[in-house]
Amino acid sequence: MSTLATTASRQTIVRAVCVREWRESLGNRLLVGMTVLPPLVILFAGIAAVATAALVPPSEKDVAALYAASPAVVGLDPKEAVQGLIATYFLILFMLIPTVVPLTIAIYSVIGEKSARTLEPLLAAPVRVGELLLAKSLASAIPAVIVTWVAYGIYLGSVSLLGSAAAVRAVTAPRWILAILIMVPLLTLLSVNLGILISTRVNDVRVAQQIGGLVVVPVVGIGILQVTGRVVLNNESFVNTAIFLLVCDVVVFLLARVAFQRENILSRWR
Amino acid sequence: MGVVLRTERLTKRFERLTAVEDLDLEVREGEVFGFLGPNGAGKTTTLRLLCALIAPTSGTAEVAGFRLGQQDELIRASVGILTEQPGLYERQSAEDNLLFFAALFGLSSVVAREQTERYLRLMGLWDRRTEAVATFSRGMKQKMAIARAALHEPRIIFLDEPTTGLDPDAARTVREFITQIRGEGRTVFLCTHNLDEADRLCDRIAFFRRTVIRIDTPAHLRAELYGHATEFRILPSPRPEHLVRVRSVDGVSGAHLENGSIIVKSADPLLVNPRVIRALVGVGAEVAYVSDRKVSLEDVYLRVVEGT
Repeated sequence: MSTLATTASRQTIVRAVCVREWRESLGNRLLVGMTVLPPLVILFAGIAAVATAALVPPSEKDVAALYAASPAVVGLDPKEAVQGLIATYFLILFMLIPTVVPLTIAIYSVIGEKSARTLEPLLAAPVRVGELLLAKSLASAIPAVIVTWVAYGIYLGSVSLLGSAAAVRAVTAPRWILAILIMVPLLTLLSVNLGILISTRVNDVRVAQQIGGLVVVPVVGIGILQVTGRVVLNNESFVNTAIFLLVCDVVVFLLARVAFQRENILSRWR
Repeated sequence: MGVVLRTERLTKRFERLTAVEDLDLEVREGEVFGFLGPNGAGKTTTLRLLCALIAPTSGTAEVAGFRLGQQDELIRASVGILTEQPGLYERQSAEDNLLFFAALFGLSSVVAREQTERYLRLMGLWDRRTEAVATFSRGMKQKMAIARAALHEPRIIFLDEPTTGLDPDAARTVREFITQIRGEGRTVFLCTHNLDEADRLCDRIAFFRRTVIRIDTPAHLRAELYGHATEFRILPSPRPEHLVRVRSVDGVSGAHLENGSIIVKSADPLLVNPRVIRALVGVGAEVAYVSDRKVSLEDVYLRVVEGT
């Protein structure tokens, strides 16, 4: 008597898990809404701020404060400088999108299966833990990256239409384009893998959410430091940060892999 | 019939608790094997061990020809398990649930669709294949979970309480399914509290409490524990002297009172029962009827497992 089962390829497993998770998420309108809302808010706020700066000239007091905070823009036309600075600030906020958008889905990815009692049948399939976590990680990360890139594309188009030359230069700076293309996926994976790590170790959805809120703090901190001029994203720091994030992504994934103990999850979850 | 599952001194400890201890078991290909024991006996832990979901503390096992602990993925590909809870993706349709698991078990998309249709039809759920599982009744969910366990045609299907909470119609569908897959030569490892169901379905049963207490066919267990027993109904009720007289009859190996009857055990009832009737009539007893005493599996279970 033979079985029809074979060992599925990693691609098959990852694709199957991703498609299932996306169907599950898309079936939950509230979740979709709450996932799309933060990027929309940041996007529209960014466009509105650049447009407002284009229409309303800054006061002398504002210009003085701007030159004091950012000596690099001294000498530029005040209106241009303000728009350029605003456009840059919102680009930093775009870096926050991938840490916020996938977090809920990532945190729920394992703990949700625990509470719905779907994890045991899943673990009874011939699937390796690493494959399962990789699939869950990608299922959360891919939509977040796409949402961020789309939002950035819309922002880029809007600033090109509404903003000054300085604002356009800011949002099309190669370093920022690279940041969006490279840093966003790395930040997303870091956020998602931390969410999955939390999800594997915690037995209560509420606790997971509370801990998950802390995940965004370091990234927000980096953003604040950038805005206040304490950290400048030059070429060298860009490369260093990218390498650092890549290492963090791998380390956190491996930690999640180690933390995901089939036996503990099955025997201790009640 | 070959052996499809064998364990040797299989043991599982959780910190201070020993859930399974020195389990020695052999299950044959194509049989329905009943695994019976009280709550907390370690049945679910045993199932998880045999499905390579958790690792044993000590001992060895070979499941579907693969070594536990060394070929766990191959074991998981060769077995199917119905867990205590159906554990289905409730927002997704019945069809999508099964197709997802078919992909995890490495079935090609064509085979996956064929198998999904086959099992949904078998379980009477084909017409509702596009509906979200959340709209299903408890019985339908249970049938879905059984379909999922069988989807990849495993050599052994482990069923943990498959009919618990089901209405009689759904329970019958599940029992018919078990009979059908046995007919296909697959092995069913059935954990159940429903002793009547075990009696009807199982070729052999194991009474289990941390370790196996007894393994045999239901018929052998009955015969061994109770011998051939006959019930003699006495009106209005049997008196002590009736019992004394019956015990003195040649060939009677035992007799006791039970619910207004005398239960008589003997090796050869055809020979002994007429003697008992004559003896009872001789002491003035009114014998209302004589019938074969049906020993239920529950009686056997209580005697073996609970010692009552």
